[in-house]
Amino acid sequence: MSQGVSRPTNVVTVEKRPIPEPGQNEVLLQMNAVGICGSDVHYWQHGKLGDFLMRKPMVLGHEGSGTVVKVGAGVQHLKAGDRVAIEPAYPLHNDDFCKSGRYNLSPRMFCCATPPYDGHLCRYYAHNANYCFKLPECVSSEEGAFIEPLSVAIHACRRGRVKLGSKVLICGAGPIGLLNLLVAKATGAAQVVICDLSSSRLEKAKEVGADFTILVTKETPQELAQEVEKVLGCMPDSTIECTGAEFCVHTGIYSTLSGGTVLLVGHGPALVSVPLLNAAIREVDIRGMFRYCNTYPMAIAMLASKKVDVKPLITHRFPLDQAVEAFETTKKRLGIKVMLKCD
Amino acid sequence: MSENLSLVVHGPGDIKLEKRPIPEPCPGEVLLKIHSVGICGSDVHYWQHGRIGDFIVKKPMVLGHEAAGTVHKLGEGVEHLKVGDRVSIEPGVPRENCEFSKIGRYNLSPTIFFCATPPDDGTLCRYYVHNASYCFKLPECVSYEEGAMIEPLSVGIHACRRGGVHMGQKVLIFGAGTIGLMNLLVAKSMGASPIVVVDMVQERLDMAKCMGASCVCKMEKNTCPREMASKVKTALCGMPDVTIECTGAEQCVQSGIYATKSGGVLVLIGLGNTNTTAPLIAVTTRELDVRGIFRYCNTWPTAINMLASQMVDVKPMITHRFPLDQAIEAFELVKKGTALKVIVQCEEPEKKEDPQANALEQCQQQCQQLLQQCQQQCQQMQKDQKEHCGRIGGGRS
Repeated sequence: MSQGVSRPTNVVTVEKRPIPEPGQNEVLLQMNAVGICGSDVHYWQHGKLGDFLMRKPMVLGHEGSGTVVKVGAGVQHLKAGDRVAIEPAYPLHNDDFCKSGRYNLSPRMFCCATPPYDGHLCRYYAHNANYCFKLPECVSSEEGAFIEPLSVAIHACRRGRVKLGSKVLICGAGPIGLLNLLVAKATGAAQVVICDLSSSRLEKAKEVGADFTILVTKETPQELAQEVEKVLGCMPDSTIECTGAEFCVHTGIYSTLSGGTVLLVGHGPALVSVPLLNAAIREVDIRGMFRYCNTYPMAIAMLASKKVDVKPLITHRFPLDQAVEAFETTKKRLGIKVMLKCD
Repeated sequence: MSENLSLVVHGPGDIKLEKRPIPEPCPGEVLLKIHSVGICGSDVHYWQHGRIGDFIVKKPMVLGHEAAGTVHKLGEGVEHLKVGDRVSIEPGVPRENCEFSKIGRYNLSPTIFFCATPPDDGTLCRYYVHNASYCFKLPECVSYEEGAMIEPLSVGIHACRRGGVHMGQKVLIFGAGTIGLMNLLVAKSMGASPIVVVDMVQERLDMAKCMGASCVCKMEKNTCPREMASKVKTALCGMPDVTIECTGAEQCVQSGIYATKSGGVLVLIGLGNTNTTAPLIAVTTRELDVRGIFRYCNTWPTAINMLASQMVDVKPMITHRFPLDQAIEAFELVKKGTALKVIVQCEEPEKKEDPQANALEQCQQQCQQLLQQCQQQCQQMQKDQKEHCGRIGGGRS
């Protein structure tokens, strides 16, 4: 079977590997659709991401859906033929984080396509059955593959305290920013303003429901914050920062209403300069988030009920054997989501 | 009309004791005879720099915002207080019923009145008028000085609430000044344990230990933040769930980020520079919650309960007392940084008794009495003699 594999020497190749057997409590899946994430591209280009360093070839891809081909011992809730979405990261030990419901913070986790674990950009893949979620008929495999980035947005809006009537600022109109827009609106946010450097991305944002868009040019963060207030008619209660750029962190803090929340999704450098004083004396909470937890059932429900429509965000499709081209497309930041068809 | 001696800041480096008129309470207000006022670092800052951030002393301003006093006169419509009531003053009073006030976070109201924040006058004076709804009656068992300490205690209550401190949590506190110690007392009474306090000054750490810190850690100027985090982990046998940062120092903010357990809360009380260099990536990847506080709200009734039931003892923090007419010396002492809490006593002193003069007076009174007695006896003797001579007849004179 073929897989998209990254080697530490910045090379991504399509290789043949053996079909795995499902272990205790695992299922073997025939992969259907896998989306490419910025982190996959990053591992390809740099061989590492933060503290995660590739020491051996690794299969990429962690945004996938597949069909159950074989169930391992002890699996009762799935059978061959079931289509599932894969939650790629799960804890390896039942520690206090797990017991209190925040398993995403557990220090030792398995995570697809995070060294040293393989991902599922391949034809056949075995996964922990507890982290495979059955898709109803009305949710396609591509939508199923989209649940992973959609989960980032669900977790972000929860942590960011977005709720009915919220006024929200989203920094960054890439796939994560746009998904946050969809989730914020579905959650009942009254108005969402989204900002980006790219006018084409902002057009897409408008198409999928942004109330306002702001094209960032040469403003200072304070000036951009004033523009946000002007356009929204008030200061946002929640800001979801999806870029990791210091400029946007500053903007988010200056923009947010006193007592509000700035939610950090994007990853920046090791040390940044932050106007913590401004945030602190206005009781603007700055909250981080790491991946997600307890989002898959909700995501499936939202897709099934059509309250969230992710299909407009899929702009490119490639078969698995053209994976390298797919990666080049993603690297060039063409379109929004590039999907690989693996069956 | 007696004087209303007040401590007034005019500009950087310029504070004076001045006589001002005694104000009249408007409807909804009370006139208070101020008893005890604590000096805060912010009062000293306004004296030294004439500003804090965007709050600039543009006209003379009375300092002081940590106060307790006695109700002297009621404004119209005040029903819950009467003359003679002992009260503690909540210095922040919202001016309008804005959205922040309506949701119960009135401390965030942009137009709030606040004692000794320009342009609003403070309480370091003999007579002061305040909104009666923000004057809280003190029970008999809570002293005026404790009443004055309710303000810094409130910072601790608000910070621990914002931090979500609760029973069984491990807590880290940076800074063992008044604010750090107040947070220690509150966290302890909320059931947190163990609590580690960090400071650079050994005497302050010793005080923290006396006041109930489970353990203390000394931080040096060159202690690397990751190393500090590691020391804390060892001291607490684990990472703290809540870190309360009271210093404003960048080194402590960074240490707090590294030290706090994933999913935990870092409360920022100390005010630092406009921009802080921080490892925000750690905030992101370990889902930390960085929450600042701005003063407090809805803390006075809680604080009074805590003091009345003796759940916390703030009295050991008061290290020095000065009368109002020596307020400038008091400020000089606070500026040195060696005192903990300095209280200014603002009541007009009664005439002092001079023991020598008393003794003299007593002597004079006794002599007066003896003289009167002698005179009476003499008169009686003369009378008796006259009668006796009269009876014998004739009378030799």
